[in-house]
Parts: sequence; C-alpha cells; structure tokens
Amino acid sequence: MIINRLGYAIALAVFILAAAAGLEYAEGAGMLGAEGARRAMQVLIGLILAAYANLMPKQLGRPRRSAHAEARVQAALRAGGWSMTLAGLFYAGVWALAPLPFADIAGTAAVATALAVTLGYALWSYAACRGAGDAAAGR
Amino acid sequence: MNMVFKALADPTRRKVLQLLRLRPMNAGELSDHFSVSKPTMSAHFAVLREAGLIDAGKQGTTITYRLKLSVLEDALLGFSQAFGIGAGSAAPDAETAPELSKGKTS
Repeated sequence: MIINRLGYAIALAVFILAAAAGLEYAEGAGMLGAEGARRAMQVLIGLILAAYANLMPKQLGRPRRSAHAEARVQAALRAGGWSMTLAGLFYAGVWALAPLPFADIAGTAAVATALAVTLGYALWSYAACRGAGDAAAGR
Repeated sequence: MNMVFKALADPTRRKVLQLLRLRPMNAGELSDHFSVSKPTMSAHFAVLREAGLIDAGKQGTTITYRLKLSVLEDALLGFSQAFGIGAGSAAPDAETAPELSKGKTS
C-alpha cells in the first residue's frame, strides 16, 4: 500500500518535471510564449492539487475508538477535501483565464484560504474530541 | 466509475450514505432505518463496498461501516439526491435485491 502510494507520488513528480521541461522546450522553440508556458504550468499545478484533494476524504486510516471521534475525523477530512479541491479548481481556472497579476494574487489567496479552513477545521475537530473525551472521563 | 454510478442510482443506498455521514454505524443500526429485510440490506452494503463508497471494519462480531466518499463522489451523491435519480424505482429495487444477495452485484 505504502509502496503503491510512493510509486504514484514519484510518477506524479516525474510527470510534473517532464511537463515543466516540455513547456521550457516549447517556449525555447517559439511554440509558446513565456506567459503561455507559465499559465500552463500553474493550471497543471491547480489541477493536480484538486485531484489529490479529491481523494483526501477517502484516507480514513485506522478506526478510532469512539464513534464521536470517527465522525469528527471524517468531517474534518471532508471539509479539507472540499476546500482544497475547490481551491485547486479555482487556482487552475484563474490561471487559465484571468490577467496574470490578478491570477497570481487570487490563486495564492484561494489556496491559502483553503489551507486555513482545512487546518482550522482539523484543530477545531481535535479540540471537540478532546473536550468530549474529558467530559466522558468526568474531568 | 460505473460501479459508483450504479451504487448512487438507488435511493436506499443513498440514504445509507447519508446516515453514515452522521457517524459510523454497524449493519444493525443502519438496517433499523429501513423497512427491508436484512439480506436485502446486506446486498446494498455489498454494492456500496464494491464501489469503494464505504469501508467495512470488523470489531468483534459486528461490522462497522464508515463513509469513504471522494469529493467527486460526494458531489455526485448530492446531485443524484437533489434530482431524485432512481426515486421512482424504490420498490423494484427492493424486489431485485434478493438477486443481488445471490451474487449479482455487478
């Protein structure tokens, strides 16, 4: 399982490097402008982010001891998956269509916001689990 | 992906997924929400498991099901629920379920 995941990650890294090299070559050969190459690479990064985040809620891990904790973990994974997927799609879209200065700021802001939502929800879920655990233990 | 569409096309299976969204449940808890027989429910669980939409973990003698939806599958579930896909075929599905429990799950 781990080897499989590692294999996919390495294949993806090779693909990104190959795409970057291909775009560099296309730019050098005059087939693509500098702006086009930059946009294409950023769109690719956005789509990869969306594809990875899409699978985030499926990474359940081992079963937790309580149903409450399990529900919280699943909710956090879902919130993170949705926010990062939408951010990835927005990032790709904005880099494909918007003017460069706007795409730069808006794309980064979208991903940063999604990351904040993901981490914030995860921390909130963790705190809620701890609170419920303490209450159950009578502390 | 075809199995995912097939799994999401049935209202009972969609309801199971919605219940699992609240928390993990065992087969008995899930079956209590439906007026169909246990073998029929088992067939539905098998379809969902084969499509990779739920995860079954054995704890002692009980099997606990957990939701295992990707973002895309979650969106498809939302769409099929919103448009009521397969809602009219609830009764026929209950009739065909015994066939499913005999192994016709594809």
